[in-house]
Amino acid sequence: MIPFFRRPAPVLDACDLGRSAVALPLHAGCAVPADCPVVIVDAVGRPRRATTPGGKKLELRPGELAWAFHPGPYTIAIVPYAQAPEIGLNTTFAIDPLDPAAAGKRFDLYLAAEADGRVDLAALAVAVEDAVRTALAQGALDLPPCTGIDEWNAFRLGLNQLLYLRFGLTVDDCVPVELDAVDYAAQLAARAAQPREAVVAAAVALAPPVDAARDDAKALRRLFLELPCLMCGLRLGALPSGQDQFRQQQALLQRLDRLSVEITTMPALALAAPGQPLPFDDQSRRMRHSLLAARALDEAWALLARLDGADAERLAALYDEAERVVANLEAECAGRRVARLPREAA
Amino acid sequence: MTAPQQARCASRLPDGTLLTVTATRRERAGRADVKCVVPGDPQLAERMQQAVRLARHTEARVDSRDQVVLSVDRVPTGRDWELAAVLADRMVRGIWHGRGDVVANGWSDAWQLGKVEGHDVADASPDALLGGPGGLSHLGQLDGHPDPGAAVSSARAWFPLHSGFDADALGWVEVSVHPLAPDADTLDEEQTIAVPGADAARQLAVRQALAGARHFDGRGLGRWRTTVRFGPEVFAGRSYELALVLADRIARGREFLPRARLIATGCSDAWHAGRVDPVDDLAPKCALLLRAAGPGDRVVLPHAWRDALPDGFAEGLRARGASLACVERIGII
Repeated sequence: MIPFFRRPAPVLDACDLGRSAVALPLHAGCAVPADCPVVIVDAVGRPRRATTPGGKKLELRPGELAWAFHPGPYTIAIVPYAQAPEIGLNTTFAIDPLDPAAAGKRFDLYLAAEADGRVDLAALAVAVEDAVRTALAQGALDLPPCTGIDEWNAFRLGLNQLLYLRFGLTVDDCVPVELDAVDYAAQLAARAAQPREAVVAAAVALAPPVDAARDDAKALRRLFLELPCLMCGLRLGALPSGQDQFRQQQALLQRLDRLSVEITTMPALALAAPGQPLPFDDQSRRMRHSLLAARALDEAWALLARLDGADAERLAALYDEAERVVANLEAECAGRRVARLPREAA
Repeated sequence: MTAPQQARCASRLPDGTLLTVTATRRERAGRADVKCVVPGDPQLAERMQQAVRLARHTEARVDSRDQVVLSVDRVPTGRDWELAAVLADRMVRGIWHGRGDVVANGWSDAWQLGKVEGHDVADASPDALLGGPGGLSHLGQLDGHPDPGAAVSSARAWFPLHSGFDADALGWVEVSVHPLAPDADTLDEEQTIAVPGADAARQLAVRQALAGARHFDGRGLGRWRTTVRFGPEVFAGRSYELALVLADRIARGREFLPRARLIATGCSDAWHAGRVDPVDDLAPKCALLLRAAGPGDRVVLPHAWRDALPDGFAEGLRARGASLACVERIGII
């Protein structure tokens, strides 16, 4: 290529940054947008912040990816319960723009592990809503009918922790609101208009149109990058109270260690053995296992959020929860590894 | 509370005998998550495993440490036993807590959505759980939650009934709302509320309470056609009103959901202002609530009871996994 037209290329859609997009990928030679921190992810997935000042060209080594993100604030409406669509939580969050300390770079890790190109605010809002709904359904957060002010404060604390540890977002404000734009009656009338078969088919159709290889690779990338940080968090956050719990924690860390090794040596999706292709059904089974493992990883982050500041009696319950999450991770990773499930009698 | 090691659920066979599904929990140790044993019929065992696995898709919490073994004491016919197998699997893992001996009949083609589509048994006892419309049409309904995929939104709330210590029990009220056709806006709100099977006095009381509470809501009026059903056939008093009003708010999608059941007692002379007034029989009702509440239940009482509650009541509820709120008025927060 003849380097005639090497001018700093403008950032694509840079005006969306801070409004409909949270982070945009940057190419080498792009100008760095002003006031937006840039995260560079190197070839092995380790994130660092760029020191290029705004307006200058960004320089990347081969294999590196870069994102510019806007620190916000952003406002989204979370609907905490699928069955109560007329109530939402208006949540305002921001992302800490300063170069974080070595321990606390959660948003950078989020970009490195999960971002695939542009991070839209709408997509992030869906992910946040899913995380909150799962936490509510599992009892990690509590938002029951007629919530009192104490319960609300406890919920807010839990929400702050959850969104920080899962996504690296800092919640500024959260208020329950009635969503006037949502009409539950109209939604129900629309459901009544479609035949029953369509309802069942719609739920089934949610799963298939996926690119098995890509989803599998994304889930494994998450596991590979996030497990070491999770172990670090577990070591720091779950300070054991007593000898038994110390042994429990050591055992958990050891199992997580073994899991990280297992992730780095995971066999290719499409091969049963070297040079031996795997049937498509087994490929999608492997893909399902890695997606489930990524979901267990989400639960592990939610658990870390609860560990912070837990007292002794809650700590025991949380250790049990940690054993469950690690057992799920192990089961899914084992399922991802085998080429064919052994046929078992029902 | 911890989950039991073993749970049973019965199902009525066409010949009138009872089939018992026994679920046992044991260490997983690398085996399948569900194992089914049907003497002499491996195909039926496979179908049972499939139904149970599909029904597990509606649960939020996955635990791969345990294996559940389901066994039946005789070979069933038809597929009316499916609900019993699903419920036994939930009971043994502590996801649902059946009260007493549960008899359940029902089948479904869409267990993965939590739907129960029908039952075949004709001569079931009145306290049996029967799948399908009119009975249990969705697994979330066991805790009174609305079905997130249905065209009719119906929610249940429970209220304590006091009639002498041994006969005390929880009764339920169910509110189902259908969207009102847009051309029907001339109707009075009270005309859109029906209580089939109730006498005129109760019908009027229910209509006034609901219409008043919806007036307080702001967006409640003129949008819904409502059917109210009561679990107990005969009872007196008006302490069910708070449960009724909260079930209505949940059904209309205007209230947060409890993780398990919502248990409430209270009445009001001013529902249009959202106020909650106290009712009688504090002590026996609190004793009943302490016995009946389970993990995840939400107990809502009038604010005036707050200082008169028996000692250790709130702690007792918390020890059972339930939570308590004494409210002055309805509405979120």
